[in-house]
Amino acid sequence: MSNVDLLGRRKFIAGLGIAAGAAMVAPAMAVSEKADGVKWDKEVEIVIIGSGFAGLAAAIEATKHGAKDVHIFEKMSYFGGNSAINGGLFAAPGTPMQKKEGVEDSVDRMVNDQLLSGRGIADEALLRHVASHAVEALQMTLDAGAEYHPYLQQLGGHSVARTYQTSVSCGAGITQPLFKECKRIGVHTHNRSKFEGFLVGKNGEVVGVKMRTNYHFGEDQPGKVLNIRAKKGVIMATGGFAQNVNLRMAQDPTLTSEVGCTNAPGATGEGMFEMFRLGAVPVHLAHIQSGPWASPDEGGFGYVSNYAIFNFPHSIAVNRLTGKRFMNEIADRKIRADAELSCRDEKGNPYPPILISSYKDSKNHPNTKKVIKYNVGWKFDTVEDLAKHFNVPLDALKAQIEEYNGYVKSGKDVQFGKDMTLAKNKTIEAPFTVVRLWPKVHYCQGGVQINTKAEVKDSFTGKPIGGLYAAGEVCGGIHGISRLGSCSIPECMVMGMTAARSIMKA
Amino acid sequence: MKNFNIILGLVLLGLTSLSVQAVEIRDYHKEVIGKDCKACHDNGIKQFPSDQSCLQCHDVDELANKTARSEEDKWQNPHNNLHYGKDLPCQECHAEHKTKEPLCSNCHTFKYDKHKK
Repeated sequence: MSNVDLLGRRKFIAGLGIAAGAAMVAPAMAVSEKADGVKWDKEVEIVIIGSGFAGLAAAIEATKHGAKDVHIFEKMSYFGGNSAINGGLFAAPGTPMQKKEGVEDSVDRMVNDQLLSGRGIADEALLRHVASHAVEALQMTLDAGAEYHPYLQQLGGHSVARTYQTSVSCGAGITQPLFKECKRIGVHTHNRSKFEGFLVGKNGEVVGVKMRTNYHFGEDQPGKVLNIRAKKGVIMATGGFAQNVNLRMAQDPTLTSEVGCTNAPGATGEGMFEMFRLGAVPVHLAHIQSGPWASPDEGGFGYVSNYAIFNFPHSIAVNRLTGKRFMNEIADRKIRADAELSCRDEKGNPYPPILISSYKDSKNHPNTKKVIKYNVGWKFDTVEDLAKHFNVPLDALKAQIEEYNGYVKSGKDVQFGKDMTLAKNKTIEAPFTVVRLWPKVHYCQGGVQINTKAEVKDSFTGKPIGGLYAAGEVCGGIHGISRLGSCSIPECMVMGMTAARSIMKA
Repeated sequence: MKNFNIILGLVLLGLTSLSVQAVEIRDYHKEVIGKDCKACHDNGIKQFPSDQSCLQCHDVDELANKTARSEEDKWQNPHNNLHYGKDLPCQECHAEHKTKEPLCSNCHTFKYDKHKK
């Protein structure tokens, strides 16, 4: 047998060009039909499509409110979607850990930080709804057995430290406990189940779904399609479309298959398309976010992303051509990603900048060991070694470090206005750890429009589409132009819970 | 017409070679499975085997024990990993008629020396 992988599914190159696979995956055409006269193969109480944070939280909350027959359908062979492979960062205002660390925070403050990053087009009502219920959602993860690092982090664009991170530094630290909890309470879970369209009642309301069984992602193997009636409703928790290169390029032509992506291969957006076809309002599809903490030296989110997120507050990001800083290391994601993309060599080719941290500070995150061990980050005993390895002008770099260390002492970053609170006493000094940075497509701010009940609005009538709810990244417009880090997990969880409460009329 | 015959011949040859395609990657499968397609293809010959198929002979707990790692790297155990626990279907990383990379290599640079592509 040859080495040719016809579907290109695993051809993720650990370099600048990543995720050729998604371009090859042409989703089968899903079409909705009138349910009139349809023969039902199966009848269930609640259908949930997608098994990430939103789907899992919806299933648990619906069961809590008395649902007896809840079914989660997952397209992939494994459960957890994109939620199982991200940073596991959870922002919430007024948490127990903030009280312990003496951090003053509030719903208003969190919403205001997000509105700033949303640059005038975020949905304040939805942001406020999520922030107001974020602590409840955090509690759901704790009740299911999720564990968190014993410290808070301050992510880019947040005015205070309000971010929890799972002790395994990954969203799987939440999806695994929630999935186990779903099993424990009797939620039915189905993998390899591909949503093929809605079945629609007389008044345009969703009464069921068409579901392909025995589906093998990216393979040509047509499984049987079942008509499944959903007695109480359908919750769409199908995620974003960052792995659908054609669609993301239709919105933003710069996001070619050469641009890396942190998402699971299944993030291709068919559930969202089908809601548009049904009449849902498309919002902000062109705002597709790249993560400024990603590394060109590994695929996807890898190990560097969390390493960098933890270290940005007390590190410097340096352009290798000049030896100088080029951004506020904890600005919002868009500011940083744009700044990194401007780091080019003389010919205009990408020239990934470096993040320089003091080992004494970086070693406090468990990923530091991993990035060194797996050769996606490097340790240097002297600034000379570092400069030589990355071909950075030594004198300029030394001067930059000295200048920045002055800001650490004064608490005021004259160069880029970085909030130096978390950099206090953390001067940059040898030995160093260093990673390379290059943005990867991470999150789709766009999707279907929902309200604070997780109902999906119809573009023609302006009213919610009956029987249909949506939660998580498949929804659009909540965050505006740039979502702040660690604000997706609370949104997914809270809106999943909200959809369940709406459906159960709780 | 001549070209058509050649193409037809090639297609038939292709079909024939497909039909005798047996286990190809692992020698130990040759001994116990050989050319008994149905041993694995429990959903019909033209369908992929079900996710339970491999479990007729293999035990996930046993595999997880075999590939266990040190405490520091315990979640890199492919049969009991951080992202999916013990629930990842075998076919995500293993195949008998073609080569496959481990799922982890989408994002990580782990080395699995014994992994039969």
